[in-house]
Amino acid sequence: MTWTFDDLTGWDEKIRAIAKSYNLEWHPIDYEVCDYHDMIGYMAYTGMPTHYQHWSYGKSFERTHTMYNMGMEGLPYEMIINSNPSIAYLMTENELPLQVMIMAHCVGHSDFFKNNRMFKHTDPDNVIARFKNAAKRIKKYIENPNIGIDNVERIIDACHSLKYHNYREFGINRQTPGEIRQKYVDKLNNDPASLPKDFNINLFPLEPDYDILGFVSDNSRNLDEWERDVIRIVRDEAMYFMPQAMTKIMNEGWASFWHYKIMSEITDLPQEFHLSFLKNHNQVLRPLVGKINPYHLGFTIFNWIHENLGLEECFRAREVHNDESFIRTYLNKEICEELNLFSYSKKKKMWTIDDVSDEDGWKKIREDLIKNVGLNSLPNIYIKELKKNFTLVLEHEHDGRDLDLDYAHNVCEQLIDLWGDDFKFFTIIEDELFEI
Amino acid sequence: MSTFRKHKSIADRSAADRARHKQKIEKALKEGIKDIVAEESIIGQDGKKKIRIPVKGIKEYQFIYGDNTKKVGSAPGKDVTRGQKIAEDKDGEKSKSGNKPGDKPGEEYYDVEITLEELAEYLFSDLDLPDLDKKKFKFLSSDQYKRKGFRSKGIKPRLSKKETLKKKLRRKKMSQRNDETIDGEEERFPFHEDDLKYKHFKLKDSEISSAAIFFIMDISGSMSTEKKYIARSFFFLLYQFLRHKYNNVEVVFIAHTTTAKEVSENDFFTLVPSGGTYISPAIDLTLDIIEKRYHPSNWNIYSFHCSDGDNWSEDEQKAFDASKKLKAISQLYSFCEIDPNSESKQWRQSDFSRMYELYKPLTDSKFKLLKMTVAKDIWPAFKKLFGGKV
Repeated sequence: MTWTFDDLTGWDEKIRAIAKSYNLEWHPIDYEVCDYHDMIGYMAYTGMPTHYQHWSYGKSFERTHTMYNMGMEGLPYEMIINSNPSIAYLMTENELPLQVMIMAHCVGHSDFFKNNRMFKHTDPDNVIARFKNAAKRIKKYIENPNIGIDNVERIIDACHSLKYHNYREFGINRQTPGEIRQKYVDKLNNDPASLPKDFNINLFPLEPDYDILGFVSDNSRNLDEWERDVIRIVRDEAMYFMPQAMTKIMNEGWASFWHYKIMSEITDLPQEFHLSFLKNHNQVLRPLVGKINPYHLGFTIFNWIHENLGLEECFRAREVHNDESFIRTYLNKEICEELNLFSYSKKKKMWTIDDVSDEDGWKKIREDLIKNVGLNSLPNIYIKELKKNFTLVLEHEHDGRDLDLDYAHNVCEQLIDLWGDDFKFFTIIEDELFEI
Repeated sequence: MSTFRKHKSIADRSAADRARHKQKIEKALKEGIKDIVAEESIIGQDGKKKIRIPVKGIKEYQFIYGDNTKKVGSAPGKDVTRGQKIAEDKDGEKSKSGNKPGDKPGEEYYDVEITLEELAEYLFSDLDLPDLDKKKFKFLSSDQYKRKGFRSKGIKPRLSKKETLKKKLRRKKMSQRNDETIDGEEERFPFHEDDLKYKHFKLKDSEISSAAIFFIMDISGSMSTEKKYIARSFFFLLYQFLRHKYNNVEVVFIAHTTTAKEVSENDFFTLVPSGGTYISPAIDLTLDIIEKRYHPSNWNIYSFHCSDGDNWSEDEQKAFDASKKLKAISQLYSFCEIDPNSESKQWRQSDFSRMYELYKPLTDSKFKLLKMTVAKDIWPAFKKLFGGKV
C-alpha cells in the first residue's frame, strides 16, 4: 500500500468540491478499505455487509476467484451499494490514482441512486438493517431442527429461480384482489361494453399477475409460515435490486460521465495521475466486440446529450429515465454509427448479422437493443388463472423469442414444489403452443 | 462528508456457503460417476489411474430465452455488413452423451480429476456391506504402529527429550523443597537414569479382513458384446467396492461355456465367445478352488455369476445343487442375469430366464437374483445387492 488514509481524505475533498459545484446531490459515502479476498467476498454478496447465507454465494465467490486467477476477469474497479450513507469499497492493492478515479465514480453512482425515480421505493436509509434482519431469520430457520438447511435451501433455490418475476410497478402499491374485483364489478355495472364478451367475474386473478412470488406466497395452501417468510425475503430483496438491473447502462454511464468530468477538472492533478487515469478510464470504457459495454454505451449517450442538449438535460435524464426509455429517447443514428452497433442472430448454426447502423438499420437495432436491456432480457411470465382445485396456470407472454425449454422445465419443477398443487405452464415454441 | 475506514476482517464470511457449494459439487460428482462407471475405459484399470470427470456446475435455473433471440453488439473499428457470418455456433455440436462441456450460457463445468480409488470411495461411502460374519482373519496386523504414551524402557532413537527434561525438573524441584538448606548455590543436577522417557509404540491389533471374490462369467456364444460390457462394468464396481471394504482382496476369474476354467483378468474380458452353456462346471470349479485356496474359515467368499440365463436343460438340476452348496459357504452369492434385448425372449414364458426362475427359491439375504438390461441398470442392481438406498 503506497498511499495513506490522509491521501484519500485529501483527494476526496477535491472531488466533493467539484461535484458540489455542479449540484450533484449524493448520500455521504463510507469508504471501506479491504483486501482482494474481502473484496471478492463482498462481491459474492452484492456488496451487502450482511446477507442471508446460501450456497449460490459460495459458488459466486469461487467463480470470481477462479476467473480472476485465470485472468479472464479483472476485479471491478468499484463497488458501491444503494444505501444511506452509501457504502463503497476500495481495494488495498489498487494504486492511489485508481482510487481517486473510483471515488469520483462513486459520487456519480450515489447521486444516481439518490435521484433516479426508479429507486424511490428502495428505502436506502434502512436497507442494511433489513438485510441483517433477513439474514437472521434465515439463520434461525436453518438452525431450527424441525426445518434445517436442506428445506431452507429448497425454498430459496425455487425463489431465486423466480426472483425477477416480481411486482414491477415501483412506487404504486400493489392492488389487493378485493380492489381489483371491485374495479371490475364497477365496470360491469357502469360500462359492460368495455369488457371482453367472455369476461367472467368469478375467475381469479382477474388481471394477469406478474408477481409470481407474491402470488404464490399469498395463495398457496401448502406453505408453512416460515416458508412464506423466506419467499417474502427473496422477493423484497429482488425488489430492492431490480432498479439497478433496469438502469445498469444509465447508472454506469452517469458515474463514468462524472468521474471523467471531475478528474479533468482537478486543477493540480499530477502528470502520473493523469496518465494512469486515462489508462484506467479507457480500460473500463473500452467497447466490446459483439457485445455491449454498459459503461461505454451510457457514457457515450450522456456525452452526446451534454454536447447537444446541455447539462440540464443530463440531470433531467438521470432523474426520470430507466435504460429502456433512456435508449428509446436518446439513442440516435449518430450514436449508433459512432459505436458501430449491429444486430445478429443465429441462422442455421451460424451467427449472422441482421442489421447495421445505417439509415434503414439503426431503428431496428435500437428496438433489438431495448429488448435486451434490463429486465427485458428476461421473459414475461404471468399467472393466468388459479382454478378452483388449486391448479395454477401460468403463461409466457411470447414476443417472438422462444424460451430455453431445459431451463423452463427446471424452473417449473421448482415452482411446482413451491406451489404444492397442480400446475400448468404454457408457452410457444416454434410457433406452436407448448405445455410443460 | 465521506468517511474512510479499514475493513475489519471478520472470519471468512463466505466460508460456510463455499463449503455448502462444495458439498453440492461433490454430490454432482457422485451422480456423474454413475455415468462414468458405464464407460469402458476405466474397467480393469489400476486403482491409481487418474480420470477426469467433468462435473456439471450446480445450475441456477431461471426462465431465459432460447437461441432464436436477436443480440446487439458494437464493432469498434470493424466493417460490418448485413448477412455477414461472424461465428459458428458450437452448441449444435455438443455430443449426445453430454460429456463435452457445452458453451451454453450458464453451462459450467468443473473438471475434477480423481483416481479410481477415490472414485470408489465416493461411490461407496453411502453403502455398507450386509452383516458380515466375523471370520478368522488371514493376516494379523504387522504394519500398523500407534503412538501410545511413554515408558521408561526403550531405545535411544525413541528417547523423548521433552518428557525426560520434564521428569528431571520435577525431581529437581522436589529435592529443593525437601532440602531447603541448599540455596543460592547453583548445584549441578545431572540426569538420572530414572528420568529417561521413551516414546512408546504399540502394535495396533487392527483386524485385517480378507475376501476372495469369484467372478464367474458365461462366455458362450449367446453372450453378446453388449452383455459382456454390462457384466464387465458390474464386475468393476463389485471389485472396487469389496477392495474398498477389505484390506486384502483376491480375485478369481472363471470363464465358462460348457466347460469352465480359471483365467487371467485380461482373458476374462477379451476371450472370444463360443459354444454352448453349462453352468454347473463353473460352480463346481469355484467350489474346488475355495476348498483348495480360500477356506471359508479364513476368507469371506463373494461369488458373482453373470450370465444371460440360457442354460441347457440337462444341466439345470446340477447347477441348482452346486449353487446351493456355494451359497452355504459364501457371504454373498449373486446370479445376475444380463438381458439387453432378449433375442431369446420369444422362446420363454416369462420375462426371466429358466435359471432365474429355478434359482428363485434360494433367494435370501445371502443369495440375490439380479437382472440388468441396459447400462443404467447397473447402479440400481449394485445397490440392491448391498442394501444401499437407491
